[in-house]
Amino acid sequence: MTLKNIAVTFVLGSMALVTVGATSMRAQSHINPPDPALGTPSVATEESHVNGMTGHADRGRKLYIRSCIGCHGPDGNGEGMNAQWIDPKPRDFTEATFKCRSTPTGTLPTDDDLYNTITRGFVTTNMPSWRPLTPQERADLVAFVKTWSPRWAKEKPGTPLTIPPETPITIESILHGRQTFQRLECWKCHGPQGHGDGPSASTLTDDKGNPIRPYDFSSGSRFMCGTTNQDLYRIFMTGLDGSPMPSFADVVKPDEAWDLVHFLRTLQPLKTQEASLWQTYKAAHGADIKPIGPDAATGAQ
Amino acid sequence: MYKWFANGADQTRKSWVRPFVTCALLMLAIAIGDCRTVSALPTGKVIAIPAFARKYGLPCSACHTAWPELNNFGMVFRDNGYQLMNDRDSPIWQNPSYFPITFRITPNWHRESTSNQPVDSIPGDLPGSTLVSRTVTQAGFDLSGMDLWSAGTLYKNISFLLLPSSDPTAVWHFESAWVRLDNIKGSSWLNFKFGRFELDNLISEKRFLFLSANGGIYQTYHFNVPGTLNDFGIGDNQIGMELMGHNADSSTRYSISLLSSNEGGTNLTESNLPGGAPSNRSFDGYMALTKSFNAGSWGYEQFQAYAYVGQRATYYQTTTQAGVTTPLVGLGNEPFYRIGFAGQLHFKNLELLPYFMHGHDSAYLGTATADNGPLPTGAHAPSFNGGFLEGQYFVNPQLVFFGRFEKIDVGQEAFSGTPGDYGNVTAYSVGYRYYPIMFSRAGLAWHNEYSISKSVGIVPESADGTGLPPLPFPNSQNVWSSSIFIGFDFDF
Amino acid sequence: MRTKYFLALTIAVLLGGGMLLFANPPAGSGSISGKIAYTGTPPKMKPIDMSKEPTCAKQHATAPVLTQNVTTGPGNTLQWVVVYISAGDQEASAPSQAVRYDQKGCEYIPHVLPMVAAQELQIYNDDQTSHNIHPLAKINSEWNKSQPPGSPPIDTKWEKPEFISVKCNIHPWMHGYFVVLKTPHYAVSGEDGSFEIKGLPAGKYTVTAWQEQYGSQNQEVTISGSENKTANFSFKVLPY
Repeated sequence: MTLKNIAVTFVLGSMALVTVGATSMRAQSHINPPDPALGTPSVATEESHVNGMTGHADRGRKLYIRSCIGCHGPDGNGEGMNAQWIDPKPRDFTEATFKCRSTPTGTLPTDDDLYNTITRGFVTTNMPSWRPLTPQERADLVAFVKTWSPRWAKEKPGTPLTIPPETPITIESILHGRQTFQRLECWKCHGPQGHGDGPSASTLTDDKGNPIRPYDFSSGSRFMCGTTNQDLYRIFMTGLDGSPMPSFADVVKPDEAWDLVHFLRTLQPLKTQEASLWQTYKAAHGADIKPIGPDAATGAQ
Repeated sequence: MYKWFANGADQTRKSWVRPFVTCALLMLAIAIGDCRTVSALPTGKVIAIPAFARKYGLPCSACHTAWPELNNFGMVFRDNGYQLMNDRDSPIWQNPSYFPITFRITPNWHRESTSNQPVDSIPGDLPGSTLVSRTVTQAGFDLSGMDLWSAGTLYKNISFLLLPSSDPTAVWHFESAWVRLDNIKGSSWLNFKFGRFELDNLISEKRFLFLSANGGIYQTYHFNVPGTLNDFGIGDNQIGMELMGHNADSSTRYSISLLSSNEGGTNLTESNLPGGAPSNRSFDGYMALTKSFNAGSWGYEQFQAYAYVGQRATYYQTTTQAGVTTPLVGLGNEPFYRIGFAGQLHFKNLELLPYFMHGHDSAYLGTATADNGPLPTGAHAPSFNGGFLEGQYFVNPQLVFFGRFEKIDVGQEAFSGTPGDYGNVTAYSVGYRYYPIMFSRAGLAWHNEYSISKSVGIVPESADGTGLPPLPFPNSQNVWSSSIFIGFDFDF
Repeated sequence: MRTKYFLALTIAVLLGGGMLLFANPPAGSGSISGKIAYTGTPPKMKPIDMSKEPTCAKQHATAPVLTQNVTTGPGNTLQWVVVYISAGDQEASAPSQAVRYDQKGCEYIPHVLPMVAAQELQIYNDDQTSHNIHPLAKINSEWNKSQPPGSPPIDTKWEKPEFISVKCNIHPWMHGYFVVLKTPHYAVSGEDGSFEIKGLPAGKYTVTAWQEQYGSQNQEVTISGSENKTANFSFKVLPY
């Protein structure tokens, strides 16, 4: 047998061995599907409906193995092999509790909510923006995410919040928002200047008991769930489930909510209309403004 | 522009023909000899970096179709300056013990067999021995070159890459070293890179799946019409600066580079290795435009059009001291260009990579004539057309089969008397990579590959520069060179 | 005349019988009572520092509030242990009466609140400070709502049986439990560790006692007629 023949045989033989091995045995990355007794939706049939597309969970499963499994884990519970080094921890899909929703606290998000989350990612976390995947691929992933919890088979998503048109950005709106910030005691966690240093900030934990920090408005970085005033409105009117941030939908009226949004923008170091109105007001009435906090009177009205 | 190139071919002075032809042949011999060292590309080339996986906690398969080849998510990460744009990219967010460094090497067994090699009829060149044409075969266990690759962010929106690389005998050189200012003025359309870097080729030779001597380069990426002074290869890293821009999902990308005309040479020489000739003072330019189209669940289909315009010196300013002539700086710049297109097409688990190049050198370069004198008789501005079609099939993120067919046709030889197919190349390659682990801390691939290339009249270009020109010389004899490569490719 | 009476009586009986048929099973008159005791050394309950919330701190200026995860009573007994029928009970719909949960003095009152699945729950904020109610449900849906002072009570219910830990993120020392049960037959041990489950029809029952730190224990009890049976539980406790 010539060396050439030996070499060719060796190559072909190892090719066959590897092909059989790799395709029949489980690859290093594989999914542990949920116990069928739990009643989770089937990967073969679960769909999502986003932006006129239909996503399919079986295609989403392949993308999950490629991209998501390292953090979210083969059991979909956020216990991927890298999760131990990550803070905040990856989402546990088996609980169907999601931060970014357009639906009331305690209810399931819509397919659009999940799609937007995957597209945007979360700043200051290890969840990147998955915009480089095509929209269809992201829709497929949404469908697969829904196969991890039985709630998706039994419940419908909540009714999305109706966001009324934004009220005009005026100094009166900002001042009223400031009063609302004081009254609702947002400063207890977010701090009087929104630095995320309120009296309760250091003891906050998420629903798994891990320490978590409130949003620091003075960082100017993107909110967890978007960038616009509408996104900000939605955040405190639906709460960030799984975190200490509650929903204020039952205690804030829509007009008041817009006022609060306008005030919150003044806490960020961004060039917004609200910020410049507030700067002008502060320059003229600085001495009249009572500080926010435990012994403060509200606003300057 | 073509006419400007073509004008040079008209200047011929018959009385200079023979000396020029002899000179050309000598320079050809030097060029081919030099080719073996200058274009010796160490195998095991770069660019899959578990350091990124360590930094962000993503598995290799999130950014790579099959490392080292990038998928669209990885390409966007790279375009963003190795940043995920999640406010956690700056190194200050990392544990101080995190170091953005990766080692890669491929211990292997390989076998090369090349036909039509001139060998001594009696080994040892004992009396009575002549040169005869035989097939030479070499085989054995070996190491590849090694990459000591560091890349990442110096700061938010300032990225870097430093890649000292060695050949299998641990002779080191700088493969790449650059700094990049990313997202200038907050815009992803303005990114400025400075240093020695890979050109913005849609199909990257540095991040492809081939490792063997004959398969480990794209022939088209290094081809030059035989006899030319031009040493340019679009697959070689160049030195200079690049302005590059892309939109948010990298579906539209442009890149414009201004480079030294010395094939990425350092120390102001014509090569990246010690002892090269001094370079000239001129500049090359490269432009590429890439566009992607959304193909739904298949991914993105990408197309790129590119153009490279460059110059090379045809003679040197010299000094002669004590009978020794030393070149000082390159002169007599003559132009050349390469244009073409590339594609990266996805069909479910199948990926197709078509590539086309049209190359053209000035007649002075083609005939190795100093341009302060006349062209030899029968001189032409040589040109060639080449391309390849590569296919990859991903069974799953841990098993990929690949294959390639490549063809280069010399459209116009430099000299009238040269056979029309002299230098033509045909190459095939097939193989697979199996990744037993798909992990965030390290990578391992079991690599098997068979490649074969054929050149007419000259030895085919190879990744490790092996092979001798055939006898008699020049002619239309086919030289076949085949490689078998089996190895463990790992990085961590 | 007599037919009218007869008709009215029949209708009354039919209506009454129908009501009985559709109403809950007849309340029995048996009961299970007992004491929850412990063996070993329990952990010391620590006083809570409420200085971060002055409006609550001043309510406890003379008598600081202690943590309540292991609350002991005289004679080595345990308070706040939920004792309930875990097997042998008949299906029952949720009582129409709501249960009430108060946030007062920055404490949850009661510390442990049992209720039947789908029974209405009303949560009140009696303090001058905002609280957020954050039940950490895993089987039911987790939610989180803000309740500033002066807000109306939150009206909600839990559909599935579960032991739900409740916390307030603003006041990290506040801990409580919603114990959502299938059965309406339950009791919570008092300051002296005693409990009584009333209204049990005759039958064979599994009685479970649940303590938030030490878990559950079961006993089999058979009731015949209107007797009272005793079922005592003892938990092994550790000082940490």
